[in-house]
Amino acid sequence: MMGDWQVYWLFLQQGIASGLVTGSIYALLAIAIVIIFKTTDAPNFAAGEIFMAGAYIALYLLIFSQIAYVIAVPVTLAITFVFSALFYRIVLRRIGVSPAVAVNVVIATLGLSFVLKGIVRNTGFGDVPRSFPAVFGADTVQIGDAVLTTQDVAVFALALLAMAIFFVFFNYTRTGRAMRAVGMNPRAAALVGIDLHKTRMLIWGLSGLLSALAAILIAPKILMTADMGIVVILGFAAAIVGGFTSLPGAVVGGLIIGIVENLVGLFVSTRAIVVAPFIVIMLVLAIRPQGLFGGPVVIKKV
Amino acid sequence: MTRASYIVAAVAAGALLVLLPLLGSGYIVYLANLMLVYIVLALGLNILIGETGQFGLAHVAFYGIGIYTTAILTGRFDVPFLIAAAAGVLLAGAIGLLLGYVSFRMRDIYLALSTFAFGEAMQWVYRSWDAVTNGPNGMRIKPAELFGFRIATDHDAYPFVLATTIIIIAATVWLRRSRLGRAFRAVRESEPAALAMGVDVRRAKVIAFALSAAYAGAAGGMFASFSSFIHPDSLGFTETILVVTMIVVGGLGSIPGAIVGALVLGAVQELLRQAPSYQEILYGVILILFMMYLPKGLAGAVGNLARRAG
Repeated sequence: MMGDWQVYWLFLQQGIASGLVTGSIYALLAIAIVIIFKTTDAPNFAAGEIFMAGAYIALYLLIFSQIAYVIAVPVTLAITFVFSALFYRIVLRRIGVSPAVAVNVVIATLGLSFVLKGIVRNTGFGDVPRSFPAVFGADTVQIGDAVLTTQDVAVFALALLAMAIFFVFFNYTRTGRAMRAVGMNPRAAALVGIDLHKTRMLIWGLSGLLSALAAILIAPKILMTADMGIVVILGFAAAIVGGFTSLPGAVVGGLIIGIVENLVGLFVSTRAIVVAPFIVIMLVLAIRPQGLFGGPVVIKKV
Repeated sequence: MTRASYIVAAVAAGALLVLLPLLGSGYIVYLANLMLVYIVLALGLNILIGETGQFGLAHVAFYGIGIYTTAILTGRFDVPFLIAAAAGVLLAGAIGLLLGYVSFRMRDIYLALSTFAFGEAMQWVYRSWDAVTNGPNGMRIKPAELFGFRIATDHDAYPFVLATTIIIIAATVWLRRSRLGRAFRAVRESEPAALAMGVDVRRAKVIAFALSAAYAGAAGGMFASFSSFIHPDSLGFTETILVVTMIVVGGLGSIPGAIVGALVLGAVQELLRQAPSYQEILYGVILILFMMYLPKGLAGAVGNLARRAG
């Protein structure tokens, strides 16, 4: 007979393994949220709905148009990239980007989230919950005492690969460095010849692409509805834990949130999973108002 | 506008408000009650976001505290309606004070997200605490009794709801002109400058949180006076966003703006109900267009027009 501690040890391993898988998705979402916040000075409250729309575009291409995965996935990513970039170009460029109009930017992104939800509900695909076809089988892999499916392992590997590509792009290409410069100091970036609007537009596109990628990876594991964008709350929680302006922080935050979520499900109750991210957000901010990995609070001088 | 035209407008609006229950059907009066509740909600959130510059997103959680407290005290404990509603205001204010204490160190995005999280957690409480809120089935609200009169219809509740709203508007105007109101705006403009002028920034922020929550609690009591049912689904983030949009569309930091914004968006919501399948899309488009073309809200637009007219 297994002792209590053996069960806990098993739960712990399983929670960490499953948590790393879902956490890698939250990390992608947190990156998508953080790059926009750093360059636009406002959070994108439509992140969840861009994620949801990405999943539905992929579903439409795969199921209703019978297009092969290798074509459907890049096409989905391209569509969300262009759409998000256009949202910046048409709407946000007019509203402007500065802390003074942050409220307006937030409301515009909320407007976008209503529009996207409404569109998906009206297409007829959003009426009933749907499931997304999986590429990888449901064969199981044992790691320690934890059991994962091949699909879980593939999701984790692909998410890590995407993050690796993203970091190389951000650190070693001209465009990526321009994006970082705009995030650090837009005025100085403009002085050295970086086109602020073009760079921000690319950032929005890239953020949309990352959200859609996260959606395609996680969609087979969850039920699809027009309200599935709620998953992105966990991306926000991850970004907060990571300090909201730090990309490595976002990745670590995503993994922590994934693991905490799974452990809460195993040790506390599945009902508590729904409220756990909000409690984590409040606790982290009550103890450290600038996030776990955020730098000291800078008070702007008059 | 001249002083005389202001008076004419005020008298006309007053006459309309008084005559409304005589002219309107039950549905119209119900809408009028709801709009008045929205006005109080918007005025309360305007104190926090518009005047003090603190981006709190938990407003509807406090509205829920007001509604549930009133409903539970009158329904289960036979407490007189006014005392129950006052208890709702106090409880909402007290929890707002606590939230203010926890979050006065946070700024911008962190404040927005932690209050958002608080709002979501409270909605979860309303949905899950079956013993107290009757959980996801929603809760019936007992018809209120005021000074011996039983409020059975929207018509009966209207005078009470209208009078409360007028008192609250007057209190808000007084607050805006008070020392505290000036302290709020000083905090919004610049915390270091406010500190340097001797404003207790922390106290101002915490009071703004508590006051704003108390307004929402009062709105909850008003809602409980004419509504017979409350469901946790109507106390979510979408409702908070509706109130945020009201004050931004009206013009942040302006009392007439908050009132007009509440009326305009309340009306938009009701009109969109006529086209349920396009409701979300149209609402989203309206929000985006407002932000693109009227960034300073209706109050700002009217100000610009007046300036141009000379």
